[in-house]
Amino acid sequence: MLIVGAALLLPTAVPDDLALPSYDIADVFGSAVIEKARRYERFLYADWVLTEITLLVVLWIYSRKGVAFMRESAAGPIGTGMLLGMLGLAIVWLVQLPFRVAAHWWDRRYDVTDLDYLSWVFQDWGLLAGEFTSICLALLIVMGLARWLGDHWWLPGAAVFVAIGALFSFVAPYLDFGATKPLDDPVLTEAAAQYERDYGLAHIPLRVQEVSADTDQANAFAYGLGPSRRVVLWDTLLYEPFTQGEQKVVLAHELAHHSSEHLPKGIGWFAIFAIPGAWILMRTTRRRGGMGRAEAVPLALLVVAVLQLAASPAQNWISRRMEAEADWKALEVTRDPASLEMLMVNFSRTSLGDPDPPGWTQLFLGTHPTLADRVAMAHAWNEPAGH
Amino acid sequence: MPAERPIRLVVRDDDLRRSRLTVFFRLFLAIPPLIWLTLWGIAAFVVAFLLWLAILIEGKAPEILHDFVAGYVRYAVHVYGYVLLAADPYPWFRGRPGYPVDVEIDPPERQSRWTAFFRLVLALPALLLAAALGGGFYWGSTSSSWGTAGGEEDVLWSAGSSAAGVAAIAAFFAWFVALVRGHAPRGLRDLIAYAIGYSAQTGGYLLLLTGRYPTSDPVLAQPFADLPEHPVRIVVTDELKRSRLTVFFRLFLAIPHFVWLALWSIATFFAAIAAWVAALLIGRVPTVLHRFLAAYVRYATHVFAYVYLVGRKFPGFTGRAGSYGVDVEIDPPTRQSRWKTFFRLFLAIPALIIEGALGGVLFVVAFLTWWYALVRGRVPEGLRNLGASCLRYSAQTYAYVFLLTGRYPYASPVLAGRKPIAEQLAVPLPEPLPGDAF
Repeated sequence: MLIVGAALLLPTAVPDDLALPSYDIADVFGSAVIEKARRYERFLYADWVLTEITLLVVLWIYSRKGVAFMRESAAGPIGTGMLLGMLGLAIVWLVQLPFRVAAHWWDRRYDVTDLDYLSWVFQDWGLLAGEFTSICLALLIVMGLARWLGDHWWLPGAAVFVAIGALFSFVAPYLDFGATKPLDDPVLTEAAAQYERDYGLAHIPLRVQEVSADTDQANAFAYGLGPSRRVVLWDTLLYEPFTQGEQKVVLAHELAHHSSEHLPKGIGWFAIFAIPGAWILMRTTRRRGGMGRAEAVPLALLVVAVLQLAASPAQNWISRRMEAEADWKALEVTRDPASLEMLMVNFSRTSLGDPDPPGWTQLFLGTHPTLADRVAMAHAWNEPAGH
Repeated sequence: MPAERPIRLVVRDDDLRRSRLTVFFRLFLAIPPLIWLTLWGIAAFVVAFLLWLAILIEGKAPEILHDFVAGYVRYAVHVYGYVLLAADPYPWFRGRPGYPVDVEIDPPERQSRWTAFFRLVLALPALLLAAALGGGFYWGSTSSSWGTAGGEEDVLWSAGSSAAGVAAIAAFFAWFVALVRGHAPRGLRDLIAYAIGYSAQTGGYLLLLTGRYPTSDPVLAQPFADLPEHPVRIVVTDELKRSRLTVFFRLFLAIPHFVWLALWSIATFFAAIAAWVAALLIGRVPTVLHRFLAAYVRYATHVFAYVYLVGRKFPGFTGRAGSYGVDVEIDPPTRQSRWKTFFRLFLAIPALIIEGALGGVLFVVAFLTWWYALVRGRVPEGLRNLGASCLRYSAQTYAYVFLLTGRYPYASPVLAGRKPIAEQLAVPLPEPLPGDAF
């Protein structure tokens, strides 16, 4: 059933026989930009590797020793499980702190972010609070179901997580709390309306998030389901060096995500990963008495971390397919490959993204096709056979 | 423990009667002593500087300088005992021993030169707590010290926080009660005296009368403070050891409890209304509602004990009696006056205000405990017990608001009642000495 589901979700609008032409990336991106981006990213890759190793080592130790923290709880099994879950994350957070500080220092050194250290610390604490809340909710569901259904919790458990994922996808745009404002640009709004007609979409609100005070990086994203669908542009995209043509490509790309139902498909993919993931979790925690017992929580954290790392190549591959489809559809409606190409060049300049990163980084971190591949797709579309 | 402290509060007078006339004009009547206290404070500060030099050189304070500063601290206790209604007689201007709310100060002892050198810095945590307790010591002495150390804004801050501390708020309500009934409420008097005692210890430490750090343990108030039977009682069985990891992340670890408490509070709001209506109709709260509301009060106490580091362990989510090291015992429902029930929210306002002030104390307790526990892996017993005392008052207040009891919250800071000491009662004031014009 999972295989059938995956087969249904895999097809995209990108022609199956599309061959990306080769070209000299230095001609497009410039040697200096490539060199700077590589220097910048090399450090972050090393930092990521160390962070992941630390995560696994710390969780491995915690899976063996973490049970000792049960003496710090006067709560029942689920409450104690929550405490152990939070403490596991807290230890990981503490141990990874130097790597995060180093990454932030590096970003500031390369002017990728202007966020001062104090604001960064508060942001980091805020993220930790969010993680604590999430893990408590997750453990409440898993442990509650495991205590009720025993080893059979994994199927309804996975279903509940998928439902929560879907619910969160739906409500997230309504939890904006003033972080975005409507896009006030008649030309872009009109272009977006045209793309919506081309895609056969109902009207989707366009919003702008102000981030330029903290960073020069450019980004945009599509989120929401059904009536809550939105497209958000970072305000950094609306200024130099990005041209109106490039901004239109971004809009067309994000609307293509909605047109191709990538968010519902993402939830479908999540289900495909969550079901076997929950089953593996159930099996591996059996020797600690199952997920109904607090003793199993430290081991469960390790198992989930390993599963996430193991699944990331496949998840990134799926994400890259979706992004490639959105690029292709954007080319179809804008018919402006030159702007897509310049957009990628400017992304490389402002975000210091390596146009052609090492293969292993794409495997574990590449949620989008490389900038070089995206430019190659623009070239491919421009060729007579491309469209 | 109190007998071991080099600076000890002594409450010689169990007579709570107050002259309505002097109570009404108390602040105005206190103007001369306050002016004198300020002048004495300036002199004491200068002498304390000499003390500081003497201790740095010789390791011990000269007796004459020590006595001068000790006299000032004693006089400050008298004045604030008078201003804050902890005592009724007008204080003498010489700070002689024998006032109903008094302080005993040991002769000079050897002190560590290091702790003396850094005294101003070391005293900061105690000053912070004393400011929250608002024992009033700062008007005359440390405000000038702070002024020297930190500029004029610090003087204002110190004086302001002192005025808004627990003792000042307790005195504000004691003033009304004394005017109406002619005597001070016992619990409030004990609380004020305790706050004054802590401030005296802090002042003595700051002004180098002793090298012993002030203790906030409410057990200090045990010789004079009462703890009558109350339907809502706190039971502390917790240990002092703390895991540094759970201390560091304490606020974050409490997130699920905050969420659950917020949800439970919504249900409690409606349950309290139902209990109010029922109590008006049948004269008592139905057992099922009483049980639900009592569990809520217990749970809230468990959670805040955990958050404020008074409790060690992560509490359960049900508020079950006996499930936590800092627990609340609540008696079964009894009949309550319908009049008092009808006006319960209005009647609870003074208690809620005092509870808010004690919440400030609890916050300071948690802040200081957090640092201490991170370094030492345990909490100081004095701070823990003060925190438990604040939580007890909070539990009693909410039990009163939610109609779990008709008994008003009792403000005395002690966690255990004193044994009756007959000889402490009705000690006559010493006669003025010849020539003691003031």
